[in-house]
Amino acid sequence: MTVLAEQQEDSARRTRRSLTLSIGLLLVGLHLAVALLTLVWIPYDPTGMTGGRLEAPSWAHWAGTDRLGRDLFTQIMIGSRIALIVGAGAVAIAAAIGVTLGVLAAFATRYLDDALAATFDILIAFPTLLLAMLVVAATGTASLLSAILALGIAISAIVARLTRILAKRVLAMDYITAARTAGSSWPSIVFRHLLPNIWPTLSVNFALQFGLAVIAEASLSYLGLGAPPPNASWGRLLQEAQGTVYTAPFGAVAPGLALVSLVIGMNLLADGLRDIGDPTRRRSR
Amino acid sequence: MSMIAVEEVSFGYSREQRVLHDVSFAIRSGVNVGLVGESGSGKSTILKLLLGLARPSAGKIRFNGEALEPGDRAFMRRYRRAVQAVFQDPYSSLDPRQKVEGIVAEPLRALGIPGPHRPAIEAALHDVGLPMDSISRYPHEFSGGQRQRIAIARAIVARPQLILADEAVSALDLSTRIRIVELLRALSKTMAILFVSHDLGVVASLCEEIIILERGRIVESGKTADILAHPQHPYTQKLLASVPRMPV
Amino acid sequence: MTLLAIDGLTLSIGDQALVRDLSLSIAGGERLGLIGESGSGKSLTALAAIGLLPPDIRAEGSILLDGRQVIGAREEDLLPLRGAAVATVFQEPLTALDPLMKVGRQVAEPLARRYRREGKKLDRKALAREVRDLLERVSLPDIDRIVNAYPYEISGGQRQRIAIAMALACRPKLLIADEPTTALDVTTQAEILDLLSDLVRENGMALLFISHDLPVVARVAEKVAVLRRGEVVEQGPVTSVFGAPAHEYTRTLVSAAAAFDKALEPAQ
Repeated sequence: MTVLAEQQEDSARRTRRSLTLSIGLLLVGLHLAVALLTLVWIPYDPTGMTGGRLEAPSWAHWAGTDRLGRDLFTQIMIGSRIALIVGAGAVAIAAAIGVTLGVLAAFATRYLDDALAATFDILIAFPTLLLAMLVVAATGTASLLSAILALGIAISAIVARLTRILAKRVLAMDYITAARTAGSSWPSIVFRHLLPNIWPTLSVNFALQFGLAVIAEASLSYLGLGAPPPNASWGRLLQEAQGTVYTAPFGAVAPGLALVSLVIGMNLLADGLRDIGDPTRRRSR
Repeated sequence: MSMIAVEEVSFGYSREQRVLHDVSFAIRSGVNVGLVGESGSGKSTILKLLLGLARPSAGKIRFNGEALEPGDRAFMRRYRRAVQAVFQDPYSSLDPRQKVEGIVAEPLRALGIPGPHRPAIEAALHDVGLPMDSISRYPHEFSGGQRQRIAIARAIVARPQLILADEAVSALDLSTRIRIVELLRALSKTMAILFVSHDLGVVASLCEEIIILERGRIVESGKTADILAHPQHPYTQKLLASVPRMPV
Repeated sequence: MTLLAIDGLTLSIGDQALVRDLSLSIAGGERLGLIGESGSGKSLTALAAIGLLPPDIRAEGSILLDGRQVIGAREEDLLPLRGAAVATVFQEPLTALDPLMKVGRQVAEPLARRYRREGKKLDRKALAREVRDLLERVSLPDIDRIVNAYPYEISGGQRQRIAIAMALACRPKLLIADEPTTALDVTTQAEILDLLSDLVRENGMALLFISHDLPVVARVAEKVAVLRRGEVVEQGPVTSVFGAPAHEYTRTLVSAAAAFDKALEPAQ
């Protein structure tokens, strides 16, 4: 009875979605472009004294300079690269571990399923910071890799829990029973039916987790648990700017804006992604 | 010899929670059998056992004399090739992310039947009365009745000997229901159907034999015409009297 | 006296009409069956009659419920009509009941509301007695247990009896039943249909019975309207519409229903 109402609402929502998707793509694309650019060209040497100390933004130094006279815009550009590497790395690790464990739990017998579900819950309750410190302790130094690893493990618990719930819902559908009675093996059911049907929701979650990972990495770096210079992330820039925030606020504002724009971009992208890849929502009627 | 023989089958997670008690019946090739019962009758459990999705707690199910053994892969491959299923809800029984071609091809692929599969898929779609251009469309583009036709095409594509139909027309509108029943009747010229339903009218118009289940037990079984004419068990009589009829 | 008079009702969403120029009327004590398949607009018509349409659906035409215009009426003007003039029983008895409230309390609520409406006061003991009376009238067994049970603890048929008891508690002039037996077993369906017909007759209520199932409608209604894609294609007394259907679509439905009936006749 409300099918039509839903369709109408759908089309209105689709227009809104395509707008959020475009803005999201624009913001993320901008960061991606900047990140790629830093591989071949940067305005200044990020470690060299290229201007006066704590200069305000100018044509020469778009975001000003820090207290050692280094160009902030250059460091922010490199920060984009670091942020994207961290986000992508953490989400890739989380996807590999989380989806595997989640699917396994959905298929497991009751006891194993309960045990896995409890493990996910404990891991989620575990502070990411503590996890990062443990990883740093285990690997010896605080590096980009240790940050990615810590965040990846932390997020994988969230992904695993979500995957488990989504997979259970799909496994209860008749088309899974139909596939089993048609003679399909479990691996074929996982790859042909299960993953395609949980993918839209998962991918949205990945995009959200990407943004959260970027924020989390900034916090880790802020506390000195992230990548050391010269591959400094925005978190470290924020930390360095903290001491001079009253005299030279742009030092904190600029990396802050970069961080916020990427996270907002990822979130909008996540929102816009919801409709893509779902044939039932692609109808043009 | 019967194609399927259910021999004194019981099912339950414990002796106190038996949902099936010593059920025995046979399905012969080419004869449609209706399994009639209400909620809690155990008809879904029987279906689950016949689909090889669970094992009987006691008793045996035989296929052409061989015991049904869900763990035996070679046997199950032969069994699945011969026994396919159609489910009640045409909305949840088709994967929304696969095109009709992929859906209908599933048994061919899963059973390792050598290709090309396209001719078999087209023949199945033709048999269920769907246009050829449906092959590249998604389930949500079809109505409930058409979706059920897709599900039936999937069940017959490997040319099985038996179709297990689980309330296969209950979710459909009356005008669609009669057309799907007619389709199943036409298909049953080349294969047998075990039609599991609570709807006596549909079962009677499709099946030569009827089994009446109540609370996990067979209370009456035999030729449809005989049972309709002389229902013996009080439950069968009650069931028959409960069916709403058109005023004459 | 006409209790529900729908005249030229058109329901649309955007520029698409879901129900077109629908007219039907139910007099006090009359039992009308509204027949339609999925997407015919039958449930939407029922929602329109009680003023519960989703906000994005536009209604034109006239719906007089107990002499009052429903279309365009304000919510606070409709509230007194619901319960007093009309009560509804829905298809799915599990979702129609609050899962966290004991059955006895759920039945007591509309009952207490009716007494307030009538300006009478009822103490707790009297209310409990009335609840038990109602449960007896819908032929529920083991009332002591059921009063204190939660909806999930009783069967589907028992839940539908509770829903009917709640509707009866309002003492409405018109009862709207939207596919009330579709989710039930055949034997339970027969019992509920008999119960509904008896209660409606005993209390002189009018009944709007919505269903896709012709024989089910025939069992409770004296008049039918056949709805197809938002339009009434035929209406009249059950015997004439089912006995000699005039419209092609009605003929299709009647012959389909008759075919299943015929299959149940013992072969000669």
